[in-house]
Amino acid sequence: MFKLNLKIALRNLWKYKGYTAINIFGLSIGLASCILIFIFVNYQLSFDKDYANGDRIYRVVSSWKYADGNDFKSAGVPLPLAAAMRNDFSQFEHVAAIQQSGGIIKVNATATKSEIKDSETLFYAEPEFFKIFNYKWLAGDAGTALTSPNTVVLSEKTAKKYFGDWKKALGNSINFDATKDFKVTGVIKDNPQNSSFPLHVVMSYASYNNRNMKHWGSVSSSSECYILLKKGINPSELDNTLKQFIKKYYVDNGPGKESHHFQALNDIHHNDDYGNFSGLITPYKQIIGLAIIGLFLLITACINFVNLATAQAISRSKEVGVRKVMGSRRNQLIWQFLSETALITAISILLACVISELTLPKMENLFGGDVNFNLFGDPLIFIFLMALLVLVSFLAGLYPALIMSGFSPALAIKNKVLANAGGVGLRKTLVVVQFAITAVLIVSTLVVIKQMSYIRNKSLGFDTNAIALINLPYDSLSLTKHNTFKERILNINGVKNLSFNTSAPSSGNNNETNFSYNSSKDADFQINVKPADDGYIKTFGLSLLAGRGLSISDTIKEYVVNETLLKKLNIKKPEEAIGKTLKLWGKPGPIVGVVKDFNNYSLHEAIAPIAIFSRKKNYETVAIKLEKNEMVATLKKIEQAFNSTYPDYVFENNFFDEDLKGYYETERIMGTLFKVFAGVVIFISFIGLFGLISFVATQRTKEIAIRKVLGASNFELVKMLNSSFLWMVLIANLVAWPVAYIFVSKWLSSFQYRTDLSIWPFIVAMLASISITVFTVSLRSYRAAKANTIDALKYE
Amino acid sequence: MIELKNIEKYYASKGIKHYVLRHVSTTIKQGEFVSIMGPSGAGKSTLLNILGMLEEPTYGSYEFMQEDVTNLSERKRIELYRNHIGFVFQAYHLIDEMTVYENIEAPLLYKKIGSSERASRIANLLDKFNIVAKKDLFPNQLSGGQQQLVGIARALAAQPSIILADEPTGNLQSAQAEEIMQLFQKLNREEGITIIQVTHSEKNAEYGSRILHIADGVIKEDIPVLTK
Repeated sequence: MFKLNLKIALRNLWKYKGYTAINIFGLSIGLASCILIFIFVNYQLSFDKDYANGDRIYRVVSSWKYADGNDFKSAGVPLPLAAAMRNDFSQFEHVAAIQQSGGIIKVNATATKSEIKDSETLFYAEPEFFKIFNYKWLAGDAGTALTSPNTVVLSEKTAKKYFGDWKKALGNSINFDATKDFKVTGVIKDNPQNSSFPLHVVMSYASYNNRNMKHWGSVSSSSECYILLKKGINPSELDNTLKQFIKKYYVDNGPGKESHHFQALNDIHHNDDYGNFSGLITPYKQIIGLAIIGLFLLITACINFVNLATAQAISRSKEVGVRKVMGSRRNQLIWQFLSETALITAISILLACVISELTLPKMENLFGGDVNFNLFGDPLIFIFLMALLVLVSFLAGLYPALIMSGFSPALAIKNKVLANAGGVGLRKTLVVVQFAITAVLIVSTLVVIKQMSYIRNKSLGFDTNAIALINLPYDSLSLTKHNTFKERILNINGVKNLSFNTSAPSSGNNNETNFSYNSSKDADFQINVKPADDGYIKTFGLSLLAGRGLSISDTIKEYVVNETLLKKLNIKKPEEAIGKTLKLWGKPGPIVGVVKDFNNYSLHEAIAPIAIFSRKKNYETVAIKLEKNEMVATLKKIEQAFNSTYPDYVFENNFFDEDLKGYYETERIMGTLFKVFAGVVIFISFIGLFGLISFVATQRTKEIAIRKVLGASNFELVKMLNSSFLWMVLIANLVAWPVAYIFVSKWLSSFQYRTDLSIWPFIVAMLASISITVFTVSLRSYRAAKANTIDALKYE
Repeated sequence: MIELKNIEKYYASKGIKHYVLRHVSTTIKQGEFVSIMGPSGAGKSTLLNILGMLEEPTYGSYEFMQEDVTNLSERKRIELYRNHIGFVFQAYHLIDEMTVYENIEAPLLYKKIGSSERASRIANLLDKFNIVAKKDLFPNQLSGGQQQLVGIARALAAQPSIILADEPTGNLQSAQAEEIMQLFQKLNREEGITIIQVTHSEKNAEYGSRILHIADGVIKEDIPVLTK
């Protein structure tokens, strides 16, 4: 029986080749998109899942509440915190501090390979770190590797890079910042790409030194602390101990109220309140957004299927009638039709696998090639595919199966099943749903595109063009060379301006501090500090509203502030602030200038109050404004100058505009995915509509013919067939508008600076869906109107 | 009104011509009531279709109201349908989704007749055919005879000068058939509407004024009916 059914299923598919093609094609594109989304989502959800005690690992994070209602959050903790927690919390099995840092690693030449000099991101970790996170150790021992100073653990890849083979690493030394040698005491397996911990070089925490080692008042986001809860302890049980802990250690009263929070390991990749070492964050709302699009895709594809199948039902009524007369039970018929759907779905899934395999490299490109996706990389995909097969078969097949198996045999055999039997109402509803989804996606895509171009084109208040940012060493010896370096750079042709500073006007490197304005009392909010020399304003093209820029100085002498500071201090005119005293870092000085506001964070966030002042010790970067057309040649010369001035360091250059683009990396990826999948949904609806109108046209052949002999022209017929669909599109748009509005306004609200939400995307969505409909329906219905009248009117 | 000269129609299949109509020439005048008779497959319906410009003859010329219509443009043909020709079908061919009233109204809409004029014409027809009470019903709620009445009312709505009827009573019981035939006769005699019908029934043919006997695509006999 099954074999026969299969044969009949195949014959039926072949008989209605056109519809089969539409079904399979639409379904496989939809399914391919779902598979891609699944791979993406699965990848995002797989972060930091490889640790044995994952559910007991927490990161200690910090937050401050300010009197003006703002709060500030950081993934970092004060440096003394780890030791204090180890002491005060009996609920913790292990506590480990880990510090991100950077420096120049040198590995001496050996017989087989030349010297390596590299600027590396590296970590200082307490030995307990590896008790919390169970890495696979290729060499060395987790318990003892980092117990003594000047020891280092390398990842397999790094060990191979430095020593040719990881097996040769153990016992050898690497040189750090031309000052210290570190002995390799362990080699760990490389972290997978889905990790928030890009550990390559891990040095023992005992070798770490920082002037804030004992300060509770200073927090850097690079100082993180992880804990492993004892078994059976719930994080909420820590609240009391934490309260006492905060009371005990935070004795100095700053403007912000300090607090800590234990963040679960699996939240680290998804919480954009805090950063992490890898810099990779995908908030849940984006994953959910994508999953919703995936669901939309699946629904539209299934709707196509249901529509076409129910429309086709009439043509199979006779078969149903005959089978029933022969003794087939309804259940058997339902299973027959369901297995036909399953067959189509299975074919579509195979095709979808091919399509997604072909498009996976495109998705990898989206991530700049840092990620490898593999269709069958995770066995979960097979479960997903099976689930898809079952889900789609039932979703798409059950309703048509119920309809078809429900035909009364007497009517079915006499071919008297009404044309409406397929559930015209339901079909129309489904088309409305499909078009509503399409309209929502068109609106959202348009808004996303508009916001992204707004970000690209918004004037940030400073110049980003042709500015090279070069990292500078700032140890005391190197500091003395800054002036020489400056001389040499300024002598190079093609250099317009330069400025030594801590960070560019907009940068991920931000420091805030207490300050007082014209009084002895600290203000109730903090100020963002930007130590920079006299060339800063000119190099970055900041514009002065009042006063002048900084004069040459190596220490804090005077301040330039921004508009936002004045607003927060309730100063109406910039001129009023000139000459007033500002005091921060214990150094009072007059305000000599006010600059127009510039965006110091990404456009997601509001502008902070800012003070710019000279302090040579803090200069970590030099920004060089270049002549646009000879940038490459000029950079070469700058590199030469750098290498001869700082022979122990490595030249690293970023372009400012490229850096800024990094702020919107997630938006860019999501935007592209959005555009592509919205396009797919539109396409699926389009071919679905084509299939449906084909059926409608066939079903209404008789009516069309009658109308023709009553004197209807082709144009009138095309118009008539269009109008019913246009009504549906109109209703769909009305349904879609509020939904789309909620979606996009929510998305836009995550940007502090955003484009206005105008009526246009909605109008465009409506016009687009109308024109797609008119085009599709006219294309098909014109053929129907042209068809031979007499064939349709023959007496059956 | 109608002048057919040497009409031929064949279908070519695998190089062999299958003739449906051969050397058909005839003239039908305004006000005639012609019945086309003949065995199945004789070409009756094809002839009627050609008369109704639903099919084109392979050869020969066809003049409708002194105008050659063998190669008529789409637009002109639609013009003729709107103003001069009414069709009545064996299977009634009412539009299922429309009520009786709307079915009758359809040709008037295509003819672009104003709404008040439309309403009065339809009221008139409903009244004349005694189907006023049925005007809001759908075709599948009517008996075959009633459906055919609606079909005829629809054909008459545009006030055509000729009605082409393809076995109008073929699906009906004899009592209903008789009613329809009497209606045709009345329309022909009292309103002077030209009627051409295809029929199988000798009895129905008697209602007309002239009978064309067709066999194997050729007019065998063309005899007037003696009025009783």
